[in-house]
Amino acid sequence: MPSVFITGMGIVSALGIGTASQREKLAAGVSGLGPATFLNSIHKTEFPFGEVPFSTEELFSKLSDHSKLQQSRLQALGALALEECFTGGAQQPAGIRQGLINATTVGGMTDIEDRYFELIKPELIEPDMSLAAGLDCATGTEHLARQFNLTDFVTTISTACSSSANAIQLGARLLQQGVLDRVVCGGVDSLTRFTVNGFNSLKNLDRNACKPFDSNRNGLNLGEGAAYLLLESERSIEKTGNKPLAVLSGYANFNEAFHPTAPSPEGLGAYEAMKRTLEKAGISPASVSFINAHGTATLNNDEAESMAIHRLFGETVPPFASTKVYTGHTLAASGAIEAVFSLLSLQHQEIYPALNFETPIEATGLIPCQTYQELQVEHILSNSFGFGGNNASLLFSRYD
Amino acid sequence: MDLAEIMQVYFSAGMIKPIFIRTARAVSAQDSFNSNDLLQPVRSLTGNRFTYLEPNYQDYFTIMQLRRMSRITRLGLVTAIECLRDAGDIQPEAIITGTGKGSLTDTEKFIHAVREFGEGTLNPSPFIQSTYNSLNGLIGLHHHINSYNSTYVHSGFSLEHALLDAAIQLNEQSIRTALVGSFEEMTPEHYIIKDKLDFWKKEIDSPDAVMKSSPGAISGEGSFFFFLDYQQGAAPLQLVDLALLFEPGEGAVLRAMEGMLKQHGLGWDQLDIYLSGRNQDSRHDHYYEEVEHCLSATTHQLHFKHLSGEFDTAAGFGLWAAVRMAETNQLFPSMIRKQGSTPSMDYMLLYNQYYGKQHCIYLLKKT
Repeated sequence: MPSVFITGMGIVSALGIGTASQREKLAAGVSGLGPATFLNSIHKTEFPFGEVPFSTEELFSKLSDHSKLQQSRLQALGALALEECFTGGAQQPAGIRQGLINATTVGGMTDIEDRYFELIKPELIEPDMSLAAGLDCATGTEHLARQFNLTDFVTTISTACSSSANAIQLGARLLQQGVLDRVVCGGVDSLTRFTVNGFNSLKNLDRNACKPFDSNRNGLNLGEGAAYLLLESERSIEKTGNKPLAVLSGYANFNEAFHPTAPSPEGLGAYEAMKRTLEKAGISPASVSFINAHGTATLNNDEAESMAIHRLFGETVPPFASTKVYTGHTLAASGAIEAVFSLLSLQHQEIYPALNFETPIEATGLIPCQTYQELQVEHILSNSFGFGGNNASLLFSRYD
Repeated sequence: MDLAEIMQVYFSAGMIKPIFIRTARAVSAQDSFNSNDLLQPVRSLTGNRFTYLEPNYQDYFTIMQLRRMSRITRLGLVTAIECLRDAGDIQPEAIITGTGKGSLTDTEKFIHAVREFGEGTLNPSPFIQSTYNSLNGLIGLHHHINSYNSTYVHSGFSLEHALLDAAIQLNEQSIRTALVGSFEEMTPEHYIIKDKLDFWKKEIDSPDAVMKSSPGAISGEGSFFFFLDYQQGAAPLQLVDLALLFEPGEGAVLRAMEGMLKQHGLGWDQLDIYLSGRNQDSRHDHYYEEVEHCLSATTHQLHFKHLSGEFDTAAGFGLWAAVRMAETNQLFPSMIRKQGSTPSMDYMLLYNQYYGKQHCIYLLKKT
């Protein structure tokens, strides 16, 4: 299989805008969780959130060009991450086919939910209806694609919390089959009253900062953000001269068909996704330097993921941690956000501390890495698991 | 030919091999499901909407199961069940779906519940089923299929991106079979929103005649599933090529079609059947008209929006009909817009565009 090079990345999360700001907070062990300011919900101070600490207007003011975007929080977040990731949009080399593979769970819901009940009254004529199109997930993606000249191929994936990990996998396949030469892959989700109440109805939200892999964990915290990777084929790199940051050396998607919202207790899906990813990359579990765990801190996920890690790695589990306690669970964006964190680890040969951990889960006794460490990092396995039993894993490897 | 447009001929450009469609199922506004053909009397529309002729769910589910499932979940699952049954109940090695809107009923139900109960204690079921990939998960659960699983939610490309994903995996032989499908519903509330966005015709169309040309389309619904195979076997139809164009420039659609035909050594006069997504929306029908000008008098011109209505994944109706016509070796009379003179039905071209934005060109071959 031809190599898939990663030559660009961009990110916005509760840790701020841009990769530098993420790395600074991750290395210092500073969480971005706190009460929400911009979310319009009665729960905004009841639960901690990983809200991006700027109003939508402020986000737009930070963009160098947003002439083709709508006044949408989703699009502003996406554009800020894209601007950092993909700087060469205006110069599309001749013969290079480029595209955007986006991921989202609820599209422009944030931008619409406050006006929804006016939108459905037939007699009310809205002066500007254009934002209502954001109920379709494609709308935000297409505005971003036009803004960044990524219109040769445009798509949107929605597989709940594994969405952007699947976007990255599709991008890799399209490059490897020669359908595209370079492709920006990732995801974006903004905090919405809809999703907050959805997870609250599932009794999945912790009233305190979440405790990934702790035996006393009590649920997840929701976050928002966006992240994108630029994937390039060898043919594209020859033309663009871009220098690889890392290689996407393995990926897999496996549906375990166990339950609509919960993983099997033994973590079959997580196990198969990780195992197949390593097989695709042709490396043994012992070669994995670090696992960026899905680690949402829900009772079900962390137990199932621990069991799967234990089964795959046996007694020699590599250092692992979940960054959900830094950013909150950013849903469709999380796979790409954590891909950026993994790339930062590879780039700087360092790993970031798990926060809020006290007591290991009894069944596995796994203890996440709790200190910042400089470490020789060769391969990072990153997990994203979602509703519907959708499990995706990615393997990022150092480029020499 | 302009390079930028050749790029969008995906199978050809990527040298992806053809894939085979073994079985196809459709639930639509027409009586397409029970006999898996289109030979029953045509159902007319009510107002400007085509709505599902729903299957008898009791044949598939217990009352308890039905109580937990929403409208589009039932519809999609039943379509998938029959598609898999026709294929001999073989477990597919991937489940890939496309939907523009997923379960609108559940999304709306949850939006209303959030307001009605003041963000208090809510039933999580509509939230769970509003998730776009929930049907995929349910198909997997229902048939115990552990496999690759993904869902595309990109408007008029949703079904085609699901097909493309399957095609590249069949091509690299990481899978040998795939269940690919689409599902779409329209609700009264969402009809209003899309009406304000000028999606629909403003006047009520006559129910019996073919739709009149005016700004806007007729709303529709449909759920389609296809069982794909990397080898021919008994498959009646081959997906030879697929081109996808986003907001194409002047003449780009025709150039993409000509490029595709040329790539496969074909001329316009070798097309036996042309399946058109033409929907009598006067704002965008010029795309279809340009193609019609190129067609040979030998080609049978078929259309389907007067039977299905318009929706993100409506091309699925055309693809389903192509599979079933190839298998039964007959044209569906209710789809004929202009009879051609050719006695054969080897090559078919399906073209569909969604409000001028997403354009899809399928080249199909009867096996």
